[in-house]
Amino acid sequence: MSAAGHSLALRGLSKRYGSFTAVADVSLDVGQGEFLTLLGPSGSGKTTILMCIAGFVAPSEGAILLDGQDITPLPPERRDFGMVFQGYALFPHMTVAENVAFPLRVRKMGTAEREAKVRAALDLVQLSAFGERLPRQLSGGQQQRVALARALVFEPALLLLDEPLSALDKKLRAELQDELKALHRRIGRTFVNVTHDQEEALSLSDRVAILNHGKLIQQGAPAELYEAPRTRFVADFLGKSNFLAGTVQEVFAGGFAIGAGATRVVTASAELPPLGSQALLSLRPEKMALLAEGETAENTVTGSIASWSYLGAGYALNVATPDFGTLRITLPSWNAPIAPREGLPVRLGWSATASVPVLDDEP
Amino acid sequence: MMSHQPGLFARGSAWVVALYLLLPISIILPVSMTDQRFLSLPREALSLQHYVTVFGSPEWLASIWQSFQIAVVSTAIAVVAGTLCAIGCWRLASRATNLVRALMLLPIIIPSIVYAVGLYRYFAGLDLLDRFMGVVLAHGVTGIPYVVITVSTALAAFDPRLEQAARGMGASLMQTLRWVILPRITPGILSGAIFAFIHSWDELVIVLFIASRDVFTLPRRIWDGINENLDPAMAAVAVLLVVFTTGLLLLDLALRRRRAE
Ligand SMILES: Nc1ncnc2c1ncn2[C@@H]1O[C@H](COP(=O)(O)OP(=O)(O)O)[C@@H](O)[C@H]1O
Ligand SMILES: [Mg+2]
Repeated sequence: MSAAGHSLALRGLSKRYGSFTAVADVSLDVGQGEFLTLLGPSGSGKTTILMCIAGFVAPSEGAILLDGQDITPLPPERRDFGMVFQGYALFPHMTVAENVAFPLRVRKMGTAEREAKVRAALDLVQLSAFGERLPRQLSGGQQQRVALARALVFEPALLLLDEPLSALDKKLRAELQDELKALHRRIGRTFVNVTHDQEEALSLSDRVAILNHGKLIQQGAPAELYEAPRTRFVADFLGKSNFLAGTVQEVFAGGFAIGAGATRVVTASAELPPLGSQALLSLRPEKMALLAEGETAENTVTGSIASWSYLGAGYALNVATPDFGTLRITLPSWNAPIAPREGLPVRLGWSATASVPVLDDEP
Repeated sequence: MMSHQPGLFARGSAWVVALYLLLPISIILPVSMTDQRFLSLPREALSLQHYVTVFGSPEWLASIWQSFQIAVVSTAIAVVAGTLCAIGCWRLASRATNLVRALMLLPIIIPSIVYAVGLYRYFAGLDLLDRFMGVVLAHGVTGIPYVVITVSTALAAFDPRLEQAARGMGASLMQTLRWVILPRITPGILSGAIFAFIHSWDELVIVLFIASRDVFTLPRRIWDGINENLDPAMAAVAVLLVVFTTGLLLLDLALRRRRAE
């Protein structure tokens, strides 16, 4: 397969159903060969955006560009996009090979060439031995791979995936995530994926666009989104986060300090808020440490363990603090510095660069 | 608490109803095998002479053949029109299409005698009275509801994402129809065809109005036979009719069972 990825752009895309706005003014660029994931809770408009890209839903406003060309008015059958539907939508009356051959048959490709391509596509997803089976004789993971092969066999300009892994159990999902990622690397095509699973989004994508209530909240590389969420929603939806609220007490080069009750916390920040304003910091549970006697850190807070759980690789402690409510902290269970127990007094420490200021978009 | 075993009363009434439905048919069988020369139960022996008469009579054979031809052509009309109508309504799926679907059921809702009187008036002007084409049209149109119902039912179970998937892969509307939609609803179309065929095969009321001499279907010949002479050959024909219709219904049942698997 040629490695000709195409670029896609959404310009001010909106979709309204009556007075309800399912997608609100979304602009996005997907580069050649990029793996972009639309991530958001259920009902945030992900499928609607994908259906607009595929051509099944006509946008109320905005344009869709493929390699700079406006394709908004094109019907789906003229867009040449491969799509893996939620639930796969395999043709139940056709065998696996017939399913995969369908897009080629539609294009009136000769039998010999068609068979060769079907074989190559089934090889690609490791289903060569299953060509003569019917979809219902396959497991969920195998059906998913047939859907992938069918979507890729005609070398589409773009591959669209709507929650491709959500119907699978956890272990299989992890396996297929790896396969999907490897597949993307190998064929170098542009993928647009939709999911509500943040782990899947983080592990698969080159870039993630986070949606809520039809709006694009933030986009960026997975690590960028995780390390520098701009809003409370993003910090909360991608992984877990503590939120520290306080009043800005001091501003200095490269950061500021907030105070809440008797506690003062410093944070690194590129943008500096005015003195006296309210600020909210996001602090990931794994970026705090339990301090030993006499140990110091840029920020320290004392509290006591309100509850804890054992997660195998680590412990998660909920520490009740006087000024910031309950803070969640995770630490490796191997060589843990303490044996957790309810009521145990602890001191938490973290550096100024561990936290990021976020906008409070979810009061 | 309701028990899942039917009670004595329910069981009893079920049998009564079944007998009530079957008795008139079952009386036909011995009558058709009577050794007498008039419509009666056999006296001394069972005889197949009336079956021999039927198969040796050019009139009966002509009527059987004509009924069969009419049923085949009118079924084709009903299947094509009914299937297209059901698919169109399904694709558009609006309040208007619900109305269209309801309209398509009119031939079942309106008493056939009313329908027949109306047809008689229009067909007179169109020179379709006592014409093969006239009866075919009348039976074809009145057969549409059966096809609309069975095909709509099949479509209700059709996953609309399959159509989207097909179109997303570049299939035109015709290709989608031929390769994806039709194969999925074929059992529904076949069921509709069988019912449309039976409908034409034993339809009498309309034929009485719009046909007289040239078109003389099997039910019509039985009807005339009863009015004119009480020839037991009619009973033999009736048995053949019942056997044929039952065969078709069993075929429908078998098709449904295969679909359920
Ligand atoms: N055809 C439609 N008519 C009315 N509302 C719709 C329609 N399709 C989607 N919606 C609404 O738009 C919102 C976004 O839906 P969707 O894009 O399917 O969300 P997601 O895929 O993120 O779960 C939902 O609130 C949904 O109810
Ligand atoms: Mg969805």
